[in-house]
Amino acid sequence: MRSAKEKRPAGQKQYYRRKKVCKFCVERIDSINYKDVKLLSQFVPERAKIMPRSISGVCSQHQRQLNDAIKKARNIALLPFATE
Amino acid sequence: MRNYEIMFIVNPQVPEEEIDKINSQLEGIITSGGGKIEKIEKMGKRRLAYDVGKHREGFYVLFVMAANGDIIKECERRLRVMDAVIKYITVRTDEETRRFDKIKNYRQKRAARRGTGRKPAPVEPVEEAMQ
Repeated sequence: MRSAKEKRPAGQKQYYRRKKVCKFCVERIDSINYKDVKLLSQFVPERAKIMPRSISGVCSQHQRQLNDAIKKARNIALLPFATE
Repeated sequence: MRNYEIMFIVNPQVPEEEIDKINSQLEGIITSGGGKIEKIEKMGKRRLAYDVGKHREGFYVLFVMAANGDIIKECERRLRVMDAVIKYITVRTDEETRRFDKIKNYRQKRAARRGTGRKPAPVEPVEEAMQ
């Protein structure tokens, strides 16, 4: 075990990171609608904050649409602003 | 004329007839102003994501229509005045739908172009002949 660790040059990643892909691009979801709570709630974790792109892997165009949709849904009480 | 959606939440304690009355009132405003209703949908009772006033539940109603600014203004004024209505939101949809159509068109065109370029059809008859 230890020898394997020592062989690895410094700064190299220790595990394989899966490449993130935009869910909306892959599944060809064009319309991000504020009424689609099931879809939107995938991008709002427990605290009801909007999931950042760096975690979800959504592309910038779709993230912008997603943001708008989530904010509209919050306005009409389909999604919470904050929990706790 | 632009396409709009109005979604509003009615107090769930209010009887069903009252909701119908609100709907017909709004319908009257829209049609008399020259708008066209595409859909009225009662989405039913739902738990609200957060408390609005004292309410934890609400009855959702959705209007989809083609109208102009004045009609929307009047509708919103009415909704604000009504006691049974807890919350409402108006969303303009025509720009969005136009964009989707554009994307869809582009995709279809691309698929058609690819279909003629590759010609996948002759593959199957050959297999059939061999069998």
